[in-house]
Amino acid sequence: MKVLVAVKRVIDYNVKVRVKSDNTDVDLTNVKMAMNPFCEIAVEEAVRLKEKGIATEIVVVSIGPKVAQEQIRTALALGADRGILVETDEKLESLSVAKLLKAVVEKEQPQLVLMGKQTIDSDNNQTGQMLGALTGMAQGTFASEVAIDGDKVNVTREIDGGLRTVALNLPAIVTTDLRLNEPRYASLPNIMKAKRKPLDVTTPADLGVEVKSTLSLVKVTPPAQREAGIKVADVAQLVEKLKNEAKVL
Amino acid sequence: MKKDIQGIGLGMASRFAGSEWAEKWGLRHPVEKLAYRSTKLGFKLVGQLQQKQSQKKATDNTPPKPAALLFDVSLTEEQQMIADSLRVFAGDELRPAAHDADEQLHIPDTLLRSSMDMGLNEFAVPESYGGSASQLSPLNSVIIAEQLGWGDFSLAYALLAPVAVANAIARWGSEAQKQALLPAYLTGEPMRSAIAIQEPQPLFSSQSLRTEAKRTRKGFVLNGEKSLVPFAGHADYYLIAAQYNKSMRLFIVPHNSKGVSWQDEPAMGLRAVGTGRLTLNNVSLPANALLGEQETPFDSAVFFALGQLHSGAIAVGTAQAALDYLIPYCNERVAFGEPISHRQSVAFILANIAIELESMRLMIWRAAALAEHGQPFQREAYLAHVLCAEKAMEIGTQAVQLLGGHGFTKEHPAERWYRDLRALASLHSGLHA
Repeated sequence: MKVLVAVKRVIDYNVKVRVKSDNTDVDLTNVKMAMNPFCEIAVEEAVRLKEKGIATEIVVVSIGPKVAQEQIRTALALGADRGILVETDEKLESLSVAKLLKAVVEKEQPQLVLMGKQTIDSDNNQTGQMLGALTGMAQGTFASEVAIDGDKVNVTREIDGGLRTVALNLPAIVTTDLRLNEPRYASLPNIMKAKRKPLDVTTPADLGVEVKSTLSLVKVTPPAQREAGIKVADVAQLVEKLKNEAKVL
Repeated sequence: MKKDIQGIGLGMASRFAGSEWAEKWGLRHPVEKLAYRSTKLGFKLVGQLQQKQSQKKATDNTPPKPAALLFDVSLTEEQQMIADSLRVFAGDELRPAAHDADEQLHIPDTLLRSSMDMGLNEFAVPESYGGSASQLSPLNSVIIAEQLGWGDFSLAYALLAPVAVANAIARWGSEAQKQALLPAYLTGEPMRSAIAIQEPQPLFSSQSLRTEAKRTRKGFVLNGEKSLVPFAGHADYYLIAAQYNKSMRLFIVPHNSKGVSWQDEPAMGLRAVGTGRLTLNNVSLPANALLGEQETPFDSAVFFALGQLHSGAIAVGTAQAALDYLIPYCNERVAFGEPISHRQSVAFILANIAIELESMRLMIWRAAALAEHGQPFQREAYLAHVLCAEKAMEIGTQAVQLLGGHGFTKEHPAERWYRDLRALASLHSGLHA
């Protein structure tokens, strides 16, 4: 079974995000970038499927600038077999990404597409679902367990107060949640081997997809600073303040 | 050629200026002036020549050479990946285990096991012996050592001690020695092995060891005492430095050799390494115990320099850990109504640590890069070591100081870093990049 995993280059989750002074966007100068943590979980799941003998080939795809190759190499070092970079310097929205991924899916014909449920930069949680709609493939989102069962895949999702499992016909799209697995470290020998694995570079034009933007980013602001608290003298004053100032009573 | 002409002229002029008779005849001043002028003229000429050459080049159709990488000290994509991956490993595995390992004077087996899974050993063993090292790479070694050091100094030292032995065998060993010893690092139980150089005596010099090896009919016999040896009594074998034929050489000594005895010797730092004192009393070894006799002749200066780089890099990592810990602390710790980092007496210390740290790292990288390219690097390695030993100690002290009363307690890792960072200055490294 061929598995396609989509990964995105985002700001490292350890980095404290700063907003540009003119509030146009997040400041990315000299900031450490890394693979989106949910994507890493998707890669790990694919590698585990391969170790179980279910997956035969893992193809990693990333869409973005040339430097996104670093994240593909990381995925190759984690155990993927082959990489594809769709190179573009455009700022892409979810729908464009889904259309590009659809083109890659049509070309590669994977049985299973694994991707993070969302990326930690824009937090949209859209691309997987859009790709499902565009390709007409079955989709299982927020997976906390993935089990291949013949020509079906059972995907378990954590919901309020319990678990819900759906069975999807293959080929299918699965988006991964935080508790699906714990990604491994890229071991040193595998990092060396990653260098020799193939990485193809293509462009949106090669895939026949026109990238266009339907929304514009208006403003980015940091969270408001918390104000210092105050001390009240007695309960009466507390109740009075809750009633008249906080207006919660 | 052009350099030669200028060089000869300059040499003659300066010899003239420095000579006794120039003084005697009151000629020094004019001659000095002449030397200065000729230098200036020489440089001007060279400049013009180079300009002409570059003009000539510009008219050629040959593409211009890419700029020399001499001043580019950024890591390659692969080196960056190695560093990133090990940083996560150090944060997840080493840092949480550090406190207990320090208390118990012992590195847990699970940690040695996960370092094997990470491929640290495999990375030290050349491909032809089943490992994955395509070549001996001091540069990769120092990158790895720094990231492990960020997790914990002692644990990094303990994990790298066996790697250092594998590195040393891969570099100096004969074909038969490599065949016999290297594959054991790849599978089975984690290998514990270490290099022992230091001796318990005043004015210890690695150039004249008291431990002596004498040739016998069957092989060698060793006598002497070694201190601060990693894995006291728990290692599979040691590479022991001994004086042989008026120079320092390494001998492969199995831990159960007759005449080897042990004594625990816990020190202020390096506690997770489980240091001990090793006594060799007429230990007889076979003829093939001597390292560096056949393919690659042993060079003690290169051996020491590689060790200094390896341990220096660990200190860089630990010092970086200290800085990474201090910055948020000083920004959050409020005294007299504002964060203590607002006070210059604090801010300047932090800035200086950052500057020193960067110098330490660059000097280590520079020496390691020279070593990687097979060029002389001993001088650079020595300078790097002196800087690292001195500054690491200072950074450890500052880490405790800036944490105030907290620095004194064991609730914060600063006191451990303080103790471990002092090791570098008093340690004749048992590592090998």
